[in-house]
Amino acid sequence: MARILVGDDSETILLLLRTRLEMEGHEVETAGDGQEVIDAVHRAIAPPDLLLLDAMMPRKSGIDALRELRGGGIEVPVLIVSAHTGAGDENGERAELGIAGYVAKPIDFEDLFAKIAELTG
Amino acid sequence: MLAALAVIGVARFLQQRQDFENATARSYQVEIVARNRLAEGENPAAARTTISSQQSQRQFLRNDIDDETRDTALLVGAGLIAGLTGAALLFSGLIASMRRPLEDLVEASGRLASGDLETRVKVGGLSETAKLGAAFNEMAEELQRRAGERDQLDRMKDEFVLTASHELRSPLTSVQGFAELLMLEREMLTPKQGETLEVILDNTRHLVRLINDLLDLARSDAGRLTIRPVPTEVAGLVEEAARTMRAQVDARGQSLSLEVEPGLPEVEADPDRIRQVLVNLLTNANEYCQERASIRVTARRAGADVEIEVIDDGPGIPTEQLEHIFERFTRGNAGETQRVGGTGLGLAISTSLIELHGGTIEAESTLGVGSTFRFRLPGTARDRVGLS
Repeated sequence: MARILVGDDSETILLLLRTRLEMEGHEVETAGDGQEVIDAVHRAIAPPDLLLLDAMMPRKSGIDALRELRGGGIEVPVLIVSAHTGAGDENGERAELGIAGYVAKPIDFEDLFAKIAELTG
Repeated sequence: MLAALAVIGVARFLQQRQDFENATARSYQVEIVARNRLAEGENPAAARTTISSQQSQRQFLRNDIDDETRDTALLVGAGLIAGLTGAALLFSGLIASMRRPLEDLVEASGRLASGDLETRVKVGGLSETAKLGAAFNEMAEELQRRAGERDQLDRMKDEFVLTASHELRSPLTSVQGFAELLMLEREMLTPKQGETLEVILDNTRHLVRLINDLLDLARSDAGRLTIRPVPTEVAGLVEEAARTMRAQVDARGQSLSLEVEPGLPEVEADPDRIRQVLVNLLTNANEYCQERASIRVTARRAGADVEIEVIDDGPGIPTEQLEHIFERFTRGNAGETQRVGGTGLGLAISTSLIELHGGTIEAESTLGVGSTFRFRLPGTARDRVGLS
């Protein structure tokens, strides 16, 4: 199963994602904002198989963190979690940052698991 | 000035005419006296001389007055022409000095009406047109100021709706997520707890739908409801929408069948948005129809378009409700089933979405027989014709 780094500023959502993803057999690490995501990626011996990032986080957003990681040559697939419907790509960053897909809040977990399987399978 | 001369000329002429008549009358009297003397045979030679001199004097006077009459007529004619020309020049000057500013005003009003609130006119010309111009500029100023305020309010409203929707969505994600987590372990709950959990989940989903619908509606009002049309297979969309609705349809023992004509042309559509419309229509059928109702989705070619129908054999919609069914916050009568959880916004949003696609949507219903909701999407072929 996959090693997933989850970035979200809400403790409860991190707990929810960790619980559901671990129940699916994934290995989960969490980060509270964009900077923590970057730190966690650099700290790890091998980069994770997938990043699951909230688009809006204080200090550094998921999008900004991703831009920095892509600039540093990190190529892992990324799913962006967004609280906006009709999700994402408002600024055409999908192609620019190589975003694999968007997940709307509230999260449809069956859909999320299917996307993860497709990206890490 | 010439007109004044004419008046003086005419007065002088009238005086001369009077003099002429007096002189002529005197001359006749002298002649009559002379003729009387001649008749009496008294110094006939002198009388004859007097008669002929009076006759030639009158002839002279007549010639003189004829000349005067001609000159005066000429003078009056010239004065008249000069006066009329002067008046005409004066009027055309007046008209010209009004016409230009008025034309400017008409043009500026047109620009203002078509939304160019920066429009102003040059204030000038007669005092009346200058006042009109100044009043116009004042009005344009006021309109621009109000439009600015309204735009700002609109932006604040949009921002508020966006922020509120975002802020509500995060806690809702937790509520729904943890309730679902509990649901995964339903066998460990008592039946009562399981039912309670279902109520929580139902209401959470309803709240999410409301927030999504309100957000779409706010976007639609702001003209910011956007679609990203791509060539799309209708069959796939219909199947996905049916899959989304499967659990709710099964829960009510209803049947859901799909009849998609083979070889349908692709449509130019935003797949997420058309799926949303289909789910809206299917949700309505699911919630307003009785248990074990049958719901059908059909898709067929209609010229260059594709026509999609959601047909049910539910209770039907009364005519007076059917007329308003696409308006926002219109909701059907739930009847004895109190489970209808719609927002009253689904059909209004569906209409906006279908219209954004350049399509049409309509409803038919017969009480006790069922309802049909039908929409058309333009095929990709028609778009190409439109472009060429």
